[in-house]
Amino acid sequence: MFIETQATSDPATLKFLPGRQVLASGSFDASTREAAAQSPLAHRLFGVEGVTRVVLGSDWIGVTQTRGDWAHLKPAVLGAIMEHYLTGAGALEAPGDAETPKDRFSAVGDPNESATMTQVREAIRQVIDPELGFNILDLGLIYDVSFDGEGGAKVLMTTTTPGCPATNYLMSGAREAALSADGIETAEVELTHDPRWGPEMMTSIAKAHFGIPEGEGW
Amino acid sequence: MIGATLSRWTMSFFSVALVALIVALVLMAAGTGYPSEGIADAGSLIVVHVTAIGWLSLLMCGALLQFLPVLVAHTLYSDALAWPALLALVVGLVALVLAFLQFGGILQTQVPYFAAAAVLLIAGFGLILWNLGATLLAAEDVPLPVWFVIAGLVAAVFTVGLGAVFATALGGGQAAWLVTLTAAGIPLHAIAGLGGWLTFTAMGVSYRLLAMFMLSPELKRQSTRIALVLGAAALAVAVVGGIVVVLANGNLMLALTAALVLAVGALVPYGMDVVFLYRKRRRPVIELNSRMAGVALANLAALAVLVVVLAVFGQLGNQAGAVVFFAAFGWLTGLGLSQLFKIVAFMTWLETYGPVMGRMPTPRVQDLVVEKRALKWFWTYHAGTWAATLALLFGLAIPFRICVVVMLAGTLGLVAQFLRTRRLLDIDAAKRLPEGTRQPQLFVSNAAKPA
Repeated sequence: MFIETQATSDPATLKFLPGRQVLASGSFDASTREAAAQSPLAHRLFGVEGVTRVVLGSDWIGVTQTRGDWAHLKPAVLGAIMEHYLTGAGALEAPGDAETPKDRFSAVGDPNESATMTQVREAIRQVIDPELGFNILDLGLIYDVSFDGEGGAKVLMTTTTPGCPATNYLMSGAREAALSADGIETAEVELTHDPRWGPEMMTSIAKAHFGIPEGEGW
Repeated sequence: MIGATLSRWTMSFFSVALVALIVALVLMAAGTGYPSEGIADAGSLIVVHVTAIGWLSLLMCGALLQFLPVLVAHTLYSDALAWPALLALVVGLVALVLAFLQFGGILQTQVPYFAAAAVLLIAGFGLILWNLGATLLAAEDVPLPVWFVIAGLVAAVFTVGLGAVFATALGGGQAAWLVTLTAAGIPLHAIAGLGGWLTFTAMGVSYRLLAMFMLSPELKRQSTRIALVLGAAALAVAVVGGIVVVLANGNLMLALTAALVLAVGALVPYGMDVVFLYRKRRRPVIELNSRMAGVALANLAALAVLVVVLAVFGQLGNQAGAVVFFAAFGWLTGLGLSQLFKIVAFMTWLETYGPVMGRMPTPRVQDLVVEKRALKWFWTYHAGTWAATLALLFGLAIPFRICVVVMLAGTLGLVAQFLRTRRLLDIDAAKRLPEGTRQPQLFVSNAAKPA
């Protein structure tokens, strides 16, 4: 994913264009973290130290900060935007969303997620890709984790390269990790290469480990 | 099924191959073969075939059994076909060595060793080709690098075929075409083997292994296609064209020169692709295996320059020994040892810690090796190889043997590292074998599927 940035008349504000629709209609403006609660994207951006205001438009995200220097902040903002879109969530929580938001999977974690999701996520973090020597969660190899509410978990995952000799072991590791969570009795792991994995799917932690700048993929 | 697993017999191929490499180096250090003896003498033929079949071909077969499934994202057709192939190849090589001793008058028996060697080696390579071919046929997608491997396998058929022709002629075959091909076809046999089967296959595999180990993007470049087409054309002109020219009493030099031009034309875009893979890698720190592969690739470039310079000055025929030596040890062995350093660790890790992933924290593949310790042995090996090549170019037999001793020291140092990796000796004893894991066997992988 490539995120373009645009300067505005206010040097403290930058516009980020993620190359996709942000809001279907209208705009969203939050000047505090609490006011951003309705928007998982804005909420995540307030997690970046120094961010004081987030405005969402049709295809752009306006971010205002007080630290003065964008050089250090920009990578963190880009990383937060990227991570948000990787979760597959919308910019705003739709009212009456049928899915329980607290069980939505995110590699970087969500403050509102259920204890089971946290347990599964942290257990998956124990599973490393043997070649890269880094955990498969932060590498972005886990595309989704979902629960059926009756003790069943489903993990959708990929490998860095199709046909990877470690595939079966990685799938088995993810399955064991899911089963280790309280209340999970059965776990199913599905492998996909659609979309194909790329370094842009890594979390900020993995990117920092490999020295990959935020916002860059292959 | 997309996920490939461990090839049970790959480690056995690697073990026998390393023994053959050590044997070949010991023989050369002891003064067997060129330059102490003539290039077509029994000693030279033994050293060449122990290196080409015993070391390089077994290494390549073992690697392909593990990595062709990765390249085509399909499981190996048969794990069970691998060990009879290994057995046939090893016994076939022993028969071939005995046949050369017979040919050199050192062994006085009437046993038809040449015939036995031909039958066994055809059987061994045939089983490998059947296994890999069936894997390829079952694959849904054949990516570009795999076409290099396919061309390499076709070249292997020609190499073994020509070898069988020579064996038949040397074993007493009288047909005119057998004698003609045997008299003039040795360069074609060497080109098909070293240039086609070993080099072209290694190029194909390197595309994927370099990308995989350095986290580089997969290549979908025009240059890869050009390298494939020109390289395959070079092999076709040299080997198929060469056979036709020899049988028709034509000008073999002309065919080989045309092939050389095409081969250099293929190596240029291949070199560009390799540079692209190194530059676009997503792992800033290049691991030792990829750094040492870089040295081997530089040796390949140096080899191409050497061949062109010798050809321009009309010295290629006189210096064939040095060229073959540098191709086998500077390029192919250099690449082979660099990749073994990683593959042995990778396979050992999968076998030991793969089954407990998700249940407990596990070491990383990198924890199974100590790069700093291996580095000095790699440089020892390469320094010995460069000096040995120079000694050959200047016809210095004794300095050559001394340089081979240096190469042998480097090789033994690296083999010791591989053994340490296999025995998990570089992992803290407390973390080495957590509950549910077991020590891998040295020469065979336990290919049991995870629960």
